[in-house]
Amino acid sequence: MRVELWGTRGSIPSPGPETIRYGGNTSCVGVTLEDGTLLALDAGTGIRGLGLALATQPARLHILLTHLHLDHIQGLVFFAPCFCPQTEIVIWGPASPEASLRDRIARYISAPLSPVEVRELPCDVSFRHCPQTEWEIGSARIRAASVAHRGPTLGYRIEDGGSSLAYIPDHEPALGADLEALEEDWISGFALARDASLLIHDGQYADVEYPEHLGWGHSSLSHALSFARRTGAERTVLFHHDPLHSDDFLDGHREEAKRRWAEMGGDPEAVELGVERAVFELPARTAAVAAT
Amino acid sequence: MSKVGVWISAGRIAKTPLRLSRLSKVSSVTQRPLELILARNLMSALSTPAFLVDEGGLLVFYNEAAGILLGKRFEEVGTVGPEEWGAMFGPFDENGEPIPYDELPLVVAVRNDRPAHANFEIRSTDGALHDVEVSAFPILTAHGSQGAIAVFWPAANGNGAAHR
Repeated sequence: MRVELWGTRGSIPSPGPETIRYGGNTSCVGVTLEDGTLLALDAGTGIRGLGLALATQPARLHILLTHLHLDHIQGLVFFAPCFCPQTEIVIWGPASPEASLRDRIARYISAPLSPVEVRELPCDVSFRHCPQTEWEIGSARIRAASVAHRGPTLGYRIEDGGSSLAYIPDHEPALGADLEALEEDWISGFALARDASLLIHDGQYADVEYPEHLGWGHSSLSHALSFARRTGAERTVLFHHDPLHSDDFLDGHREEAKRRWAEMGGDPEAVELGVERAVFELPARTAAVAAT
Repeated sequence: MSKVGVWISAGRIAKTPLRLSRLSKVSSVTQRPLELILARNLMSALSTPAFLVDEGGLLVFYNEAAGILLGKRFEEVGTVGPEEWGAMFGPFDENGEPIPYDELPLVVAVRNDRPAHANFEIRSTDGALHDVEVSAFPILTAHGSQGAIAVFWPAANGNGAAHR
């Protein structure tokens, strides 16, 4: 399984000289499965780069949306395969009692917010609510589960070739709870991340920032590290960087994360901050950075 | 056997008819539904006694205020089925007779996906009886019912004080 980060920022795109190293595009992770199947996890502005990087337009690809906040769908109408008539795109996402996935996404891909409507997209696009049970895409087994965030929100677990990727970019598992004291089965997202080869997890706030953002649906550094430790993830990438955090700030955040992780008894090299275009190759049950 | 397996094999209040597909779903997941997790987190912050049951009617949590009322913290009791719960705490009607499980607000809420309200007595561990009013409501989600919450108040027709 090959995992590439195309957008690591949360909330709103934040391009500029102060974010050039970690990146300013919003959430998108490209995953190439063992059988060559392409998945895009979320469709923030980072998905535009993913679409442009494809050597040829794939016959079929899947987009797995965690939720429909704008920073996770904004890149959809700038994703090149959407405009290729030969491409079939399956968009998966959370169910809602309010409206279908298609209708909710169409609120963005419609006038006056968008120059095109969903029905006008040249590709063959379909929309599916994620099932409660595992399902297969290509060579992978996929599991989706609701996690603590604002509105219907999913996390994903992708198992392929003996490796596992857990993707929970927007997550506040410590809301009203003590992560260190909770039983495992009472921790939001626990089953998705348990013993994952690679965990990509919300790490938006420094600890001192969290009290002012309680209930906003994101994690402090302490909460992200506690979650990673409790779930036993082999490698953790902190993700969904706050748009106010410059590269210099994130350098400090990264060092703090590594120091804290070491204090918790872990290998400091097993904790990273998400960097746009970073690639992780996940061979059987081990994860290693191939290139950054 | 996993914890989930234990929950499934424990005596639970099955909906009618029992939906095997839902049990299969639970057995493949190693944690509680998010809605129950969030309900527990909320209840933990309340000073009103509150109880939480899962979709099978198993008592999976009560908060500190409920623990004070009952005389026993949840951590001392743990996850219990309705029979064990009834043996420990009741509830009882005005004549001191145990109230059938089918009539308990939490059971009504879980089975029928409807809110329910009742007035009865519960017995704390020191033997004292407490007049309480109970309101229960189901936790309905996009995937159906995941359980129910019951909140207890001192009875309106009394002062809620304990008696024997």
